Amino acid sequence: MTDYAFLTDELKRQVQSFEYGTQLKEAGRIVACGDGVLTIEGLVGVKSGELIYITGGKYALAMNLEEDSVGAILLTNARDLSEGDLAYCTGRIVSVPVGDELLGRVVNPIGEVLDGGKPLKGEKFRRTESPAPSIFDRSKVNEPLYTGIKAIDSMIPIGKGQRELIIGDRQTGKTAIAVDAILNQKGKDVICVYVAIGQKIAAVNSVIQTLKKHDSLSYTVIVSSTASESAPLQYLAPYTGTAIAEEFMLQGKDVLIVYDDLSKHAVAYRAISLLLKRPSGREAYPGDIFYIHSRLLERSAKLSKELGGGSITALPIIETLAGDISAYIPTNVISITDGQIYLESELFHGGMRPAINVGLSVSRVGGSAQCQAMKEVSASVRLDLAHYREMAQFSQFGADLDVATKQTLAKGARLTESMKQRQGCPKSMGIMVLELYVAGKNFLSDVELSSVNAVLSEFISFVSEYYPYFIAGIERKGKLSEEDKKSVETYFAEFKRKRETV
Amino acid sequence: MTKTYIGKIVQIVGSIIDVFFDNHLPSQNELLHVKTEDGNVDIEVLAHRPGGICRCIALESTEGLARGMQVESTGNPIMVPVGEQVVGRVLNALGKPVDGKGELTGERASIYREAPSLIEQSPATEVFETGIKVIDLLTPYAKGGKIGLFGGAGVGKTVLIQELISSIATKHHGRSVFIGVGERSREGYEMIEEMQESGVLSQTSLVFGQMNESPGARMRAAFTGLTMAEHFRDKEKQDVLLFIDNIFRYVQAGSEISALLGRMPSAVGYQPTLATELGQLEERITGTKHGSITSIQAVYVPADDLTDPAPATIFSHLDATTVLSRKVVEQGIYPAVDPLESSSRILEPDIVGELHYNTAKRAVETLQRYKELQDIIAILGMDELNPEDKLLVYRARKLQRFFSQPFTVASVYTGMEGKYVPLAKTIESCNAILDGKCDDIPENQFFFIGDLSDIPGYQP
Repeated sequence: MTDYAFLTDELKRQVQSFEYGTQLKEAGRIVACGDGVLTIEGLVGVKSGELIYITGGKYALAMNLEEDSVGAILLTNARDLSEGDLAYCTGRIVSVPVGDELLGRVVNPIGEVLDGGKPLKGEKFRRTESPAPSIFDRSKVNEPLYTGIKAIDSMIPIGKGQRELIIGDRQTGKTAIAVDAILNQKGKDVICVYVAIGQKIAAVNSVIQTLKKHDSLSYTVIVSSTASESAPLQYLAPYTGTAIAEEFMLQGKDVLIVYDDLSKHAVAYRAISLLLKRPSGREAYPGDIFYIHSRLLERSAKLSKELGGGSITALPIIETLAGDISAYIPTNVISITDGQIYLESELFHGGMRPAINVGLSVSRVGGSAQCQAMKEVSASVRLDLAHYREMAQFSQFGADLDVATKQTLAKGARLTESMKQRQGCPKSMGIMVLELYVAGKNFLSDVELSSVNAVLSEFISFVSEYYPYFIAGIERKGKLSEEDKKSVETYFAEFKRKRETV
Repeated sequence: MTKTYIGKIVQIVGSIIDVFFDNHLPSQNELLHVKTEDGNVDIEVLAHRPGGICRCIALESTEGLARGMQVESTGNPIMVPVGEQVVGRVLNALGKPVDGKGELTGERASIYREAPSLIEQSPATEVFETGIKVIDLLTPYAKGGKIGLFGGAGVGKTVLIQELISSIATKHHGRSVFIGVGERSREGYEMIEEMQESGVLSQTSLVFGQMNESPGARMRAAFTGLTMAEHFRDKEKQDVLLFIDNIFRYVQAGSEISALLGRMPSAVGYQPTLATELGQLEERITGTKHGSITSIQAVYVPADDLTDPAPATIFSHLDATTVLSRKVVEQGIYPAVDPLESSSRILEPDIVGELHYNTAKRAVETLQRYKELQDIIAILGMDELNPEDKLLVYRARKLQRFFSQPFTVASVYTGMEGKYVPLAKTIESCNAILDGKCDDIPENQFFFIGDLSDIPGYQP
């Protein structure tokens, strides 16, 4: 009975005090709960996106402000919640702790630590949602961010401030590429944020172990919302990760953020929307599914000098089903990012690893960020390989091949072979430049296809052994002068002679 | 002075806001201001609902809005600055300057108006040259025409539109308007920088409603820019160049709003009002007795599927369509124009002339025949073809490669100098290839050249 009395009183009071103008009413009462979604009555003054406090130390996020009730999503455990519990406005928009103390830590999307270490001091907070840098706050993407993967850094180069999608079926090495990119940032003064969305706990753990093993956790923040956590938490995770990254960017630092993966994020948001009874559109996704991703990824940018020149480079991951990049979420995200790295299971099983389909992969801006040496050696590689694939298809059935065509085919096959690279073995820029120069100048024409990589790595050790300053020199200058090119040619000739005598 | 009416927010779901007015309902498409502590949030009336409620779309972020907040009517729709004052300026979808060069206080116009009537419009029949071989030859653009650049993600639409801006807008002596609809902010920045360098900016007005903005703002950006272009055409009697990147995003924003409003979705989840919404915009982009609007519109093709309702509906509004295809990208040919999918309404002998028409026709026929033969080649091999077909295949492949061309705006990526090829040279070179005058030149020589005189040792 007391419940009804509360409601009638509340109603009377509201009717009596009804007037135009801002009204504030701080408290409300839960009338329905379940599936992580609450319906609350009262809370008249609650703002859209405001954090709601529920007795017992729980928090929820106001999503739908309807005429007579509020639809909210629960950010914490839902088990001991019941109808009739009191809810209060906090006046705060959801924000999370940010700053240096997060480095090397594993947190959940509301900033609670998960790694068993001591809790965060929480000296600085930042809103999970904030507007993307405007057009005039930006600067050109003009610095390379090396992933250490030869196929990517040469043909699909990524610049600081770029958003490059990694897309492919399950088990094609998507996460591996992202993790390799994080590993390669060691000692390069780039902070990394890895956001796990709806992943298996075991998968998240193995990423953490890999980072630990390679001594890379100290410059990385991990935001984890695993598959067992509620949809609202999974939904919030990438925004939390971005807020953490933004703090570093605004300090003028370079940040690399990985969202693993946004397909699960879309699914989590769809779950919330359907539970909140918002209308749905294509594939049952709500109308603003494009907008939640576009405003998230637009926050990755390269800032202008006046704002400190920091940057966020984003590597979102999308999982496709049976290679179908035309499904709703993949096309959406492809059309938001500055390019995509497309992984194929056929290539993966065929032994081409990383399984990158170069023809379908694009980088829209990275080219202008490449250093002169890399630009020079890789300029022709992409086109060479494209022509090679087309030619290979065309000549598959024994057309009369002229010598030039045969040469193109042989060179293409060796170039393709030289793009194979093992996981967890990032290469430095200098080594990549050297290898590409050798393969691109067709020095390998008389090498067996199967031993291309072995010869290349022998050559690299040869150069490092006998001319120890050469590779470092290229890296320092970022240029490959005519002299350097001649040196490579002499070195290779020497190396070949030596190899033959052995 | 119109009277201001005060209403009150009763519901907020995503970007959709319901406002209650008890004495006077603002009309549809009227602009309203929500009063908050930090200033105004703009919303626009979309529909009236029973009980004195206006259903509105937010044009800015709704975060921090609450029920019970006061809403003021303004008595008019979105009004944006027009005329001389917007030249060389960058504005957002609501017509507010974002370039930090000061407020605009001059003349304003409503972004909504009817399309010019039948008798006011004038058809486009004059060819204008772009210097891009494959476009000039196969899909000639008309002055005052409507041109669409179709393509999936990452096939080079934005680069092509930038190249066209650099080759056409720099030579154009009138006003240009560039509208960025729902594209990347990074591209917006690069566009402005590019225009500044080429000096086009001082003759151009730019409007941006990029993808970080709410669907309402993205949808209105197209109307805002168009209103400026119309004003240049009608009041200043100018020939205007209008660039829109990307018209698909206008449709997409409409579909987001539609789903948020709970309208029943139509095919592939698009809004039921797709065709009319697009018609309202496209029919206004046209030439009149006062002046012309030549529009170049990039159209994103979702999942490379030209039969998707959005691109399929846009097709019917255009005079010339240049389709960029992934198959061509995979061959390493840029611009990746698919000659067999692209078309132009003005490719007629009495408009472009017999020579041009016949050359284009022959080129398309050759490429079409090669396409048909490709299946046979894939199954039986080249050797099974008769000598005539073999020759045709080799010529077609040379032609395909000849249609590649280095771009000025892409020279940073490719390291190749951009090339402008006059139409006459293109026609001459094409005929030479088709007549077999280049049969002994290897096909690789045709990649990224201007006309045939760029091939070392070529004797006409």
